[in-house]
Amino acid sequence: MKVTLAMKPTARSFIPIEAESIVPKNFLAGTDLVVWRGNRELRLDEVFTVTVEGHADRSENVEVVLSGDDTFRLKRVGEYMEAGKITVLGNIGMHCGNFMTGGEIEVRGNADGWLGREMGGGTIICRGDAADYCASGYRGGRKGMTGGTVEVFGRAGDFVAEHIAGGTVIIHGSAGDMPGAEMHGGTLTVHGDCSRPAANMKGGSCYVFGTAQGMLPTFRKIGTVQHEGRTLIRFVGDVANRGKGNLFVRDYVYLD
Amino acid sequence: MTELLVKNACVIDPLRSINAETMDIAIRDGRIVEEVSGAAEVIDVHGMLTMPGGVDSHTHICGTKVNFGRYMSPEDMRAGRTPRRGPLHATSGYSVPTTYGNSYRYSVMGYTTLLEGAMAPLEARHTHEEFIYTPLQDTMANTLFDGNWGIMEAIRDGDTKRVAAIIAWTLRAVKGFGVKLTNPGGTEAWQWGKNVSCIRDPVPYFEVTPAEIIRKVIEANELLHLPHSVHLHANNLGTPGNYTCTLGSMGLVPDLNKKRQTLYATHVQFHAYGGSGWPDFCSKSEPIANFVNMRPQIVMDMGQVMFGRTTTMTADGPMEFNLYRLHHEKWSNHDVELETGSGIIPVIYRRKNLVNSIMWAIGLELALLTESPWQCLLTTDNPNGAPFVRYPEIIALLMSKKYRDAEFATVHPDTAARVPLPAIERELDWYEIAVMTRAGQAKALGIQEIGKGHLGPGAYADVAVYPIRIDEVDPSVDHQKVIEAFGQTEYTIKRGRVVARRGECLIDGSNATFWVKPKVSEAYDMGKDPDFIEKFDRYYTVRMRNYPVQEEYLNRNRCIETEAEI
Amino acid sequence: MIVKDAVCPFCGCLCDDIEVEVDGDRVVAVTNACELGTKKFMGEKRLKNPILRDGDAWKDITYDEAARYAAGMLLSAERPLLYGWSGTHGEAQCVGVHMAELVRGVIDNTSSVCHGPSILAIQEVGHPGCTLGVVKNRADLVIYWGSNPIDAHPRHLSRYTRYAEGFFLDNAFRDRKVIVVDVRKTETANIADEFVQIKPGGDYAVLSALRAIVRGKTETIPRTVAGVTREQLVRVANLCKGAKFGAVYFGLGLTMTRGKYKNIRNAIELVSELSRHTKFTISAMRGHYNVYGSNEVNTWMTGYPFGIDFSRGIAFYNPGETTAVDILARKECDAALIVGSDPAAHFPRKCLEHLAEIPVVQLDPYPNATTAFCNVQIPVAVTGIDAVGTAYRMDGVPIRTRQVLSSGYPSDREVLLKMYTLMQEGKGQ
Repeated sequence: MKVTLAMKPTARSFIPIEAESIVPKNFLAGTDLVVWRGNRELRLDEVFTVTVEGHADRSENVEVVLSGDDTFRLKRVGEYMEAGKITVLGNIGMHCGNFMTGGEIEVRGNADGWLGREMGGGTIICRGDAADYCASGYRGGRKGMTGGTVEVFGRAGDFVAEHIAGGTVIIHGSAGDMPGAEMHGGTLTVHGDCSRPAANMKGGSCYVFGTAQGMLPTFRKIGTVQHEGRTLIRFVGDVANRGKGNLFVRDYVYLD
Repeated sequence: MTELLVKNACVIDPLRSINAETMDIAIRDGRIVEEVSGAAEVIDVHGMLTMPGGVDSHTHICGTKVNFGRYMSPEDMRAGRTPRRGPLHATSGYSVPTTYGNSYRYSVMGYTTLLEGAMAPLEARHTHEEFIYTPLQDTMANTLFDGNWGIMEAIRDGDTKRVAAIIAWTLRAVKGFGVKLTNPGGTEAWQWGKNVSCIRDPVPYFEVTPAEIIRKVIEANELLHLPHSVHLHANNLGTPGNYTCTLGSMGLVPDLNKKRQTLYATHVQFHAYGGSGWPDFCSKSEPIANFVNMRPQIVMDMGQVMFGRTTTMTADGPMEFNLYRLHHEKWSNHDVELETGSGIIPVIYRRKNLVNSIMWAIGLELALLTESPWQCLLTTDNPNGAPFVRYPEIIALLMSKKYRDAEFATVHPDTAARVPLPAIERELDWYEIAVMTRAGQAKALGIQEIGKGHLGPGAYADVAVYPIRIDEVDPSVDHQKVIEAFGQTEYTIKRGRVVARRGECLIDGSNATFWVKPKVSEAYDMGKDPDFIEKFDRYYTVRMRNYPVQEEYLNRNRCIETEAEI
Repeated sequence: MIVKDAVCPFCGCLCDDIEVEVDGDRVVAVTNACELGTKKFMGEKRLKNPILRDGDAWKDITYDEAARYAAGMLLSAERPLLYGWSGTHGEAQCVGVHMAELVRGVIDNTSSVCHGPSILAIQEVGHPGCTLGVVKNRADLVIYWGSNPIDAHPRHLSRYTRYAEGFFLDNAFRDRKVIVVDVRKTETANIADEFVQIKPGGDYAVLSALRAIVRGKTETIPRTVAGVTREQLVRVANLCKGAKFGAVYFGLGLTMTRGKYKNIRNAIELVSELSRHTKFTISAMRGHYNVYGSNEVNTWMTGYPFGIDFSRGIAFYNPGETTAVDILARKECDAALIVGSDPAAHFPRKCLEHLAEIPVVQLDPYPNATTAFCNVQIPVAVTGIDAVGTAYRMDGVPIRTRQVLSSGYPSDREVLLKMYTLMQEGKGQ
């Protein structure tokens, strides 16, 4: 079954729309769903032109396609998603794929903050850039992402994979400040440059194929290793705590 | 005039020795009366179990450290969120809910009176502000004196009357209810990063021992004729082998009061540990319960631990730091100048953890091995052992050996060799539960005379009707029904109004705060004592005139005056 | 008339030993206060009554009319923002929370642009702190990190640290060491025993290095870290470990610079590590006199200290999303009520552009930069001068401010209650 949600242009164009009802499972029972614009409850068809093709009796067989110029205003799409597929043709708003445990989300454009927050499983692919806190945790929580994969083909903002405890995050472009901060498990790979990777890490592995700017002084240098055809420098840390994480960088610059 | 008649109630009212008698309860203008007119509104409860409103004599619900527990825990706040509905405000939180969250949930369980277990005098205004937003229960605050410089100096000088005078001035100033000692001496030592290991260790600089503090403050408490006894969180909480320290503390207590105990020992589960370290950690509930059984002057509460996540918070700063070093979770500490301190960390009690399993057993054992339910009250030291919403499960565990055995089968397998629980056959009855959750608590707090904890004429019309018929349900096998019944009243009546019904609160309410004003002679008025004033001005950072809590902070002001002997 | 022990409603020190001399409805002299506090007590020119924007002009309106305007504005909004709150008393803040939950709006206070990051850090690792008097009486080492009390909290040094008397210190001025850590040599640095100058953006690295040194991992640390030599880092670590009681006070120089809340988290973790060796505490130098109170009030009523979004009925908290600067910059609100703060003086231009687009009502004793963006401005009494009310000092100690004169202006609480009552009627309650 393919559900196409074409977002209508609206007058009050900047109030965000919270649309956690947009998960494949919900469309098994029809399209009589609600979303929220600020404190107002709206029917799905007040915001989208809804088209359904085919039929499905399992979430795995549902694909939701979101289109329109304003999809960057949609928050919480794919929250708690367990199976199926969501494709966003343009940009998506904050909190896409939060708490996701299965299925796949593909964002063809850019994703706003907190993409895949506290994700437990499944796959998120972002073809454009991801803003801050991609694949991160929640305020005050000890565990961020615990499983699944987030792959960003563009750049990532600050604090990507903060508090990551499991799963895989791959950033093909560069990342901002403090990728992998507080990480205690899982794997983060940044193909480009970033600054201050793996701050205060306790466990897990962080790879930086570019340059680590502002490299923190509290990682112990072990030596060089070969990884996927690259020569990387291996550090262990963060010795500011009792950390036993692995940080691999192509090169690094201290703020001395 | 508003009148209400609760008909066909199966009443258990232990302070009046009423055990499951079917009767009507007449209410006029917020008080229980002998009878009402024919115009009274009638609620027929068809033989449901009916008790005085619940009283919690030791809970942490309002004030600086409770709020800091909320402040530092947005992840806890995500649980239990409800929106504003009609007169009801939004709520958030599981182990440290917002004030409205606490109030509504307690009300749904039939509780109408709460004692905040620890209020630092300097920050008392904060506790009272939160009381105002705890609308469905009457409130009172235990006031912390464990590290009070003036009191330690007076003890060092052997001047018990001055100890009493400082307590009197402070209670009056901060609108406090009772005298709380939390790790006496230890909170002062902790302001140097140190602690006292037990009752014979001197406090740095002040050179008094916890034993002296406990004994002298008890004497002072009785000189002031306070309704409640000294309320003690003993030294050395949470450490293996601490039961000897607990017994030593209890051994200091004379029998000084005919109406009530002379010492209230709180959350004793945390103080009933054997072993020389964590590897041989075990229960010492038996010696503690045996000791209390021979000492009518002591009342304790359980401090039951239940499995799951919660937040620990206490004025016992050094203990929380030790917990932090065990758990490596987030840790907050807040020392209060010249007075006391506090600490907070989140914890998870796990069934698969041997120490946690033993702790769980100890609380139950204390309740089951203490012969008189009047001497062991039901608490979790909310939220330290578990959030109060777990009380119904604890009631069911105490009433059913079968349920205990079923739960015991799920805890750490080595527990059986470390605790006496599996061999205990006792099952508490409805009457004993009523004692442990309201009558005994009201008696221990000394508030039965002002009309709390019973349904006699003149009492506050605080009534809890539970949707269960005790002639039809056997609690030793139907533990699930017991849990459901105590989890949600059919009616909670507070000051004559139905405030909660079947899990829903109905009105916003308006609480009353009880506090104590001991009347002392001019010579013992610390407000006029030059030495007291001089020290205050030099070492506190708040002016003495700005320290007292104004009566504006009391929603409904219920002052209890006592005639002191000084 | 002289009012003694008045409470200064300027900064988070909340000094309560002020003497104010009043002549009729005018303050004529202030004793004990710093310059900032004195200026506040002496007052500025106020509006006589509420004003409503009428084209390019202002029209006088009554308090009832102003309240009706505000209530209508908030009731019709889809995502109203209720912002400010640090410059008013707790009792008014409570009404504000009730208003936000009733209309399902966002309530945020000025901590989102000052110590919000400190709160985020505390939410990750906790906060080992204490009241100011504990430091005054005990501390033999005080560290000011990214804070300059001589400018921002002038009496902090005299009441609580450098120049204060301490019960456990024979000669407090001599026995108490002060370390200042900053990116430039501030006035406070001039009175310090040790000054640590860090390259901008280097606080996090320096804190990490100190933690590692305290843990005995000195050999890992490069020769210099963000401009600070390893020798100095070791010396500072030893001073900390050797102290009987150490206290760190940090300011916006740590909170609002690169890394923000991670800087604070690192500082807290340094203090937690030092607590294994000796007594150490850490606290934020809170700015507005009652910004901490707005955190406290919001927390007991909603569960969160700032940035609370009630759009969906339940409280949702996510600084960076539900905070005023972010909401305004993204144009995610359609009305604003501003109480006890001046966002136009501090917010980025992008935020102000949106503020100019939406209806805005402000409660403030004085016209300020935000007035230019208002549809309605409502003059109110100043807490601590012509109104009483509760404020929370930077260390959490609640103090009831005194009223030193009568002006006839209503308090924030009175005006807000008027609005709230109308809003309840509007909602059929």
